[in-house]
Amino acid sequence: MNLLFLGLIIQILSIFGIAFFKNDRKASAISHIILIIGIAVGLTFTIQNLMQGVPSFVNYNLFRVDALSSYFLLIIQLVSIPTSIYSYSYLKHHIDKGDKVRSNLLFFIVMLISTQLVVIADNAIFFLVCWELMSMSSYLGMIMEKEKKEVQSGSFYYLIACHAIVLFLYVFFLLLHHQTNSWLISDFHISPKTGNLFIILYALSLIGFGTKAGFMPFHVWLPKAHPIAPTVFSAFLSGVIIKMGIYGILRTFQILNPTPEWLGWVVLGVSMISAIFGVWYALAQHDIKKLLAYHSIENIGIIGIGIGIGFIGSAYHSLPVQILGFGGALLHTLNHAIFKSLLFIGSGVIYQNLGTRNIELMGGLIHKSRIFVILFLIGSIAICGIPPLNGFISEFIIYNGFFRTAKELGNYYPIIMLFSAVGLAFVGGLAVACFTKLNSVMFLGSERKKVDHFNVSLYDYLSMGILAAFCIIIGFYPYPFIKIVNSVLGNGFVPFNSYSVLTNINWLMISLIFSGIVLVFALLYLWKHSIQKKYGQRNSDAWGCGYEGLDPRMQYTASSFADELNVISQSVLVYQKQEVMTDRIIPVDQSFESHSKDIIDDKFIIPGLKKLTKMISKIKIFNYSDIRYYVASVLITIIIYCIIAFIWK
Amino acid sequence: MEIINIIQGAISLLLILALAPMLVGIVNKQKAVFTGRIGAPILQPYYDLKRLFRKETINANSSSMISRISPVINIVTVILAAAMLPVGFAKPLISFNGDIIVFAYILGLARFFQILAAMDIGSSFEGMGASREATFAVFAEPIFFFTIGSIAFISNYTSIYDIYQSIRLDNLSFIIFIIVCSTSVSILAITECSRMPVDDPNTHLELTMIHEVMILDNSGIDLFLYQYSSYIKLAIYAILETSFFYPLGVKNYPLGLLIFIVIILFLSVALALAETITARFKLKSIPQYLLFATAIGILNLLIYTFTK
Repeated sequence: MNLLFLGLIIQILSIFGIAFFKNDRKASAISHIILIIGIAVGLTFTIQNLMQGVPSFVNYNLFRVDALSSYFLLIIQLVSIPTSIYSYSYLKHHIDKGDKVRSNLLFFIVMLISTQLVVIADNAIFFLVCWELMSMSSYLGMIMEKEKKEVQSGSFYYLIACHAIVLFLYVFFLLLHHQTNSWLISDFHISPKTGNLFIILYALSLIGFGTKAGFMPFHVWLPKAHPIAPTVFSAFLSGVIIKMGIYGILRTFQILNPTPEWLGWVVLGVSMISAIFGVWYALAQHDIKKLLAYHSIENIGIIGIGIGIGFIGSAYHSLPVQILGFGGALLHTLNHAIFKSLLFIGSGVIYQNLGTRNIELMGGLIHKSRIFVILFLIGSIAICGIPPLNGFISEFIIYNGFFRTAKELGNYYPIIMLFSAVGLAFVGGLAVACFTKLNSVMFLGSERKKVDHFNVSLYDYLSMGILAAFCIIIGFYPYPFIKIVNSVLGNGFVPFNSYSVLTNINWLMISLIFSGIVLVFALLYLWKHSIQKKYGQRNSDAWGCGYEGLDPRMQYTASSFADELNVISQSVLVYQKQEVMTDRIIPVDQSFESHSKDIIDDKFIIPGLKKLTKMISKIKIFNYSDIRYYVASVLITIIIYCIIAFIWK
Repeated sequence: MEIINIIQGAISLLLILALAPMLVGIVNKQKAVFTGRIGAPILQPYYDLKRLFRKETINANSSSMISRISPVINIVTVILAAAMLPVGFAKPLISFNGDIIVFAYILGLARFFQILAAMDIGSSFEGMGASREATFAVFAEPIFFFTIGSIAFISNYTSIYDIYQSIRLDNLSFIIFIIVCSTSVSILAITECSRMPVDDPNTHLELTMIHEVMILDNSGIDLFLYQYSSYIKLAIYAILETSFFYPLGVKNYPLGLLIFIVIILFLSVALALAETITARFKLKSIPQYLLFATAIGILNLLIYTFTK
């Protein structure tokens, strides 16, 4: 426990690095080093804590570190270290360009610290303060390039989403306080017998935390905010901060259980929609960061599927189902944090070098830096859930959850679980289509736009390498991580169990198969190499049907690759093609473009907000141009509230 | 018992690896006979492989290491998938709870790299093939789950060996269920193995092909590996299909194996017949064709569960 606070204090100290050193470069180096040391100290505590399997339940009225918070601390700290390493390289790049980076670094550090505080906060008010601090610091870091118009609109979406979330959470915690007369999250417990209140609390939590996580009808801020944020922030945002929504939902489950069965259905259904449409929207994007943002929605959906299974298990008091469902969700949370930050950091490196996020202008990068492409490819394979990397492991647990639910609960469950399994398989297929598109258009073939230099610094390699290493370790040797997840579930999450459904899955066999793949692959590759030596190998031009003047622009583009799939779901995706054709002999002004909008944003949010503005403008009594009047009216309102509250008591 | 299982599993795997090209040869020979030609000898695929093996390998200028490793990944995954299949009444080499998921996803790994390798060339031909492969794979994946997966959910087994062992043909509604399932699987097999009417491996037009156009720029040992893995893939789907009819056989290993091979031969006749009398679909209607297979899978499942 002390180590954790020591780590946090060291992290806070790193802020002084910014304050005391005049030289930007030196300040950035010193504070990053201190920051990483601080996180590492915290990480040693977390790992110790999780390895012992006994949660240190220390209650100082403000903090509590139990198994669930330890697990999320692990996620935060594990991702923070590579992100900080990358942050150093990123800021160095900007310092060289002469940008001001100090405030950005400050917000980054505050964001890291406040996110760690969120998961160990026990006092509800303190939790909300940390939560706001986390949201605001990430917002302020996001507007680094605030002169750009897209940055202004995108970050504004994020700001509004954050405010809406907090509104729901305020009501949520106030209701809980009202019921239990305590501000401590660990004291909260509401039984389902309270009827309507129970449902209202769940609705508030699922909307509030669900918006943070990015479940489908509430996802709109994600694809707007991620592309415009500096890469360091979008990596942390997508890797860790949206997971805080998942953390919140899991905490809610601890407070409010057992869940009714229909709630499990709702979560499962919403998650399934998020997963399928998240990946389908991703397929239609050309902006690499926007594509990755939609993939976050998909993966949050997969995590949600696990949670939904867990809820159903809780409704039927079936421990194995709960363990497999929540276990899959927890492990996928960790996995997604790892590979998504890997991919975002990769996208940042590409953006730094090429100055564009449009994948249609890239190509042939594998000839510039092979190691970089391999690292990015590892992340891509992992996110598709393809063996032998970590994404497969967590999806495998969720599939096992489907099978187990069908077996344990019987009745109509086999059919519904089968449909869920098919949904997940469908998502996997779409993810493969999406990531083969992304990787092949960006890295393979020849350059569509001339690339003069492609520099990947040692720090970039290091940060991506650490994350990729975890993808491989969890993929090939999942057992220790499975044990951690199992102990987290056993300690105060589901009623204590001696069940070993998670550890009983044949992990040894999976490790053996995966290592077998690598071994056989290596042997066959060497064999192929020797055969090629014997019978010869050379390079030549690609076959172009006899046409000689092949041009890089004639390569298959991302849009044409994804077109066949996008056309199928045209109406939902709002996928539009605009063609301008002329009949003239010399077709001068012909053009073609295709783009996709978000149906929820396009059809509901924007028209809805317009309507709301119209309604509000009708009841607007005070219409001053001076902001001081507004401040005064806010002040007066607060005073009136205070007086009412005072008299009430 | 353990050792006998392992030996039998190894024999099954070796049989698949050795006889897979012959299966293609048999189908091609029958197709030739049905259309009134003499046709190439049954062993022709072996000769083809031998020829490719000795050829020089030529890589496209713009290609990278992806096209070098993809053929090897392809064959490794296909061999691994073959090792999970029960042949005759033998327990496969790799069999554990949940291997049905590993089986489906391991083929996904092969597909991932195959698509990347096709795009690696940087030519539009390969791009077209890759795009089609990715699209049809999305629709093919659910079929697998709605057929073999549905038996898994009904029987509560999660290993391919156990799933097939659980099939008992003593109940009329279950027999019908299995027959419709096997129809769906055959549609899946035709798509995955790029046979008619989804894909025509023998056409001369690159624009209309799927699998064949993806490996257009490969030669020598690379093409050898691709071809060999596509032969094994056909054998894999033939076994998936045949295994539906297990209980026809006797619970006796040698006899079971014999009956197994006979059923595969029957299937090859059916495939050759189908390929002779059907024309290739328009590319646009292939998703509908696959959705049709999914739909009969769903209907079949619903009807079975409600009449049970």
